[in-house]
Amino acid sequence: MHSEAAPAKHHPQGASLYRLYVLALAAAVGGNLLIRLGDRAGWPSQAGQALLAVLTALPLFAAAVLFWRLLRRDLDELLQRIVLEGLAFALVIWVPLAALYINLHTAGVWTPRLDAPDLVMAPALLAAIGMAVASRRYS
Amino acid sequence: MKNVLAALRGERGWSQGDLADRLGVSRQTVNALERGKYDPSLPLAFRIARLFQRRIEEIFALDE
Repeated sequence: MHSEAAPAKHHPQGASLYRLYVLALAAAVGGNLLIRLGDRAGWPSQAGQALLAVLTALPLFAAAVLFWRLLRRDLDELLQRIVLEGLAFALVIWVPLAALYINLHTAGVWTPRLDAPDLVMAPALLAAIGMAVASRRYS
Repeated sequence: MKNVLAALRGERGWSQGDLADRLGVSRQTVNALERGKYDPSLPLAFRIARLFQRRIEEIFALDE
């Protein structure tokens, strides 16, 4: 059979990237916990805590670079579309949700208390939901 | 768009995975194409046409 098609692509990178993201997120959350505990214990110093803050966030930057490379080079066009639709969904939903939360909070209405980790996790959760919805749409 | 991708693949006895490998896409993409859930980009449509040695309009047609 005559074939001039592009060579096959496989996507094991997706699974390892997912693991890297989970580990990087765990490092960032763990770092935040250590800083809070350290703040109470008075050790390490302010500079040490700042260093810990930077070091425990670094894996997420590495994951972001790998994610970008995976998206641009390794995913096929449908998978790219699913990921981008998921990210668009997260952004489109996150902005009105944030505005609603801020307005309710300002109005003195009861709102759930959101810590910094919640603010980090919410867009990631929304993106995951968006990707799942998009993936279902195309299957 | 509708297409005859599944029929062409079936004539050759290929699985969706086989076709995906030949096109350099994921099996999910082949499945979505065959079910008409996803319209391919122009480069992918050309790759499909070249693989089956047909013209693009012999494989893909607009839903009327």
